[in-house]
Amino acid sequence: MTEPEDQNLVRRALEAAPESFGRLCRRYYPSLVAVADSILLDHHLAEDAAQEALAAACRQLPKLKKPDRFGSWVGAICRNVAKDMLRERQRQRKPVEMCHSNDCDGEQDDDQKTLLAEAVKQLPDHLREVVFLRFYNEMSYRQMAGVLDATEQSIDGRIRRAKKKMAIYLKKAGFRR
Amino acid sequence: MKNDNDNQWLDPMLEQHIQREPEAFDFEKWAENHPEETQLLHSGFKDSGRSAKSKTLKIWRFIMESKITRYSAAAAIVLATTFVLFGPSWAPGNGSVVLADVQQKVEEAETMIIRGTKTFMRPGEDGELFEFDGVPCVFDLVKYFSKQHGFVEEGYAEGKLFYRITFNFAEERTLIVIPKYKKYITFTFVDAIKKMMENFSTPNGIFNLLLECDHKTLGRDKLDGIDVETFEFRKTELFEELLPKPVFDIQAFKGKVWIGIKEQLPVRIEGDLRVGKSFMTAFNELNLHEVNTLEEFNVEIDEGVFDTHPPEGYTELTISDILQVIPTEAKAGVAGLGIIPAGFVAWKRRRKKTSLHPG
Repeated sequence: MTEPEDQNLVRRALEAAPESFGRLCRRYYPSLVAVADSILLDHHLAEDAAQEALAAACRQLPKLKKPDRFGSWVGAICRNVAKDMLRERQRQRKPVEMCHSNDCDGEQDDDQKTLLAEAVKQLPDHLREVVFLRFYNEMSYRQMAGVLDATEQSIDGRIRRAKKKMAIYLKKAGFRR
Repeated sequence: MKNDNDNQWLDPMLEQHIQREPEAFDFEKWAENHPEETQLLHSGFKDSGRSAKSKTLKIWRFIMESKITRYSAAAAIVLATTFVLFGPSWAPGNGSVVLADVQQKVEEAETMIIRGTKTFMRPGEDGELFEFDGVPCVFDLVKYFSKQHGFVEEGYAEGKLFYRITFNFAEERTLIVIPKYKKYITFTFVDAIKKMMENFSTPNGIFNLLLECDHKTLGRDKLDGIDVETFEFRKTELFEELLPKPVFDIQAFKGKVWIGIKEQLPVRIEGDLRVGKSFMTAFNELNLHEVNTLEEFNVEIDEGVFDTHPPEGYTELTISDILQVIPTEAKAGVAGLGIIPAGFVAWKRRRKKTSLHPG
């Protein structure tokens, strides 16, 4: 069965059909978590940011001018929510640590893993974002385009640039392939 | 699309490092945690009052249905909105600055005095200053805000007061005075205007609007000896649809905000608007540059500042007064808006022609 398009779900959500909004949430939640994680570098905080972004999107839904672009719209909201959370953390002087190993226990005994984490961290925001989207849930370029308001070609270009930067960084840091 | 560059060796490592199982979104749990949003969804947003577009249209409909208030209310709303965009409520924050903290601080401030400039220019690189009835439209501004009493914007041209807009919360009344012509406009807040003011002039209202805009930090700086963090706002489509385009056609909006890191309060706000041909620009394309410096918080402001009684010797602005200062080519546009009847313009033109060429 074909999935309803975003604009139809938005329209129905505005007409007292909450489940339509639920479907939009389910559709974009993983992308939003990836976007937030690329900023916060903390998976649990990223989930909070994504949920908060969806709440903000819900409140502002009647103002959405182009319902077919719900994905990029909620993506922009999520980016702002995550940035704000990050700044709050920085202000409270609790630097967010890169914590992406599965147990997330802060032990970085593997030098290679630490270097890779640093290589990801040093990327500019917009490049780190595409890397996260690409590798988070093995997202397709098409799915990414829906959240980033960008063409598949430009996303491909960004991923290439991101990987090139990471490769240079790792090489300089003595990373062994 | 296949990524075929030389760095594919990174892919498995990145997958291992970043990849997670797809998140299963639990809508029921989300709904439990967000009761207000869930209520909006169940009611079909009927009670939200958050639709900028529908609200604008409702206000516009009200204006157009009221013969007495339609032109003056339109003017007041536009001026008020300009005030609101750059007024004390526009207080985002970030970086070492946190949005929520700034929002709260601004909300807590009982009074504010803001100074600045408002400059209207014609589009183009030479930036020719726009003149209205011989007055160069570069205004020195003083704004007074009192949570209890209301707010006032004064615009001075060539050292003289050119306009003064007063919103008095307690009296629910607006007064606009234009000393050059010894004219005034006054009217009570109607529910629609009041609601609009609440939604667009409160920190929460503006905060929600800004959340949807793209913003970036321009980093730390010093402004008059104060450590600040600077932010830039773009792509502010929501501001562009605050008012019907025929009335005030905001085509582009860009803003910068400097927020004091220690005080967590906005110190300076700059905005650039490109405004298309519309009623409030007398059907000229104009650029508006506004600078606001937020100097004084929680200072005593005399209640009399917010007085909305017309000054002695002033008379109420009429349609005839408006037509005298609007260029001929704009009059058809004014009539087209329904602000004045088309026949009225034709009649005035005929009268003028007749008086110039009697017989």
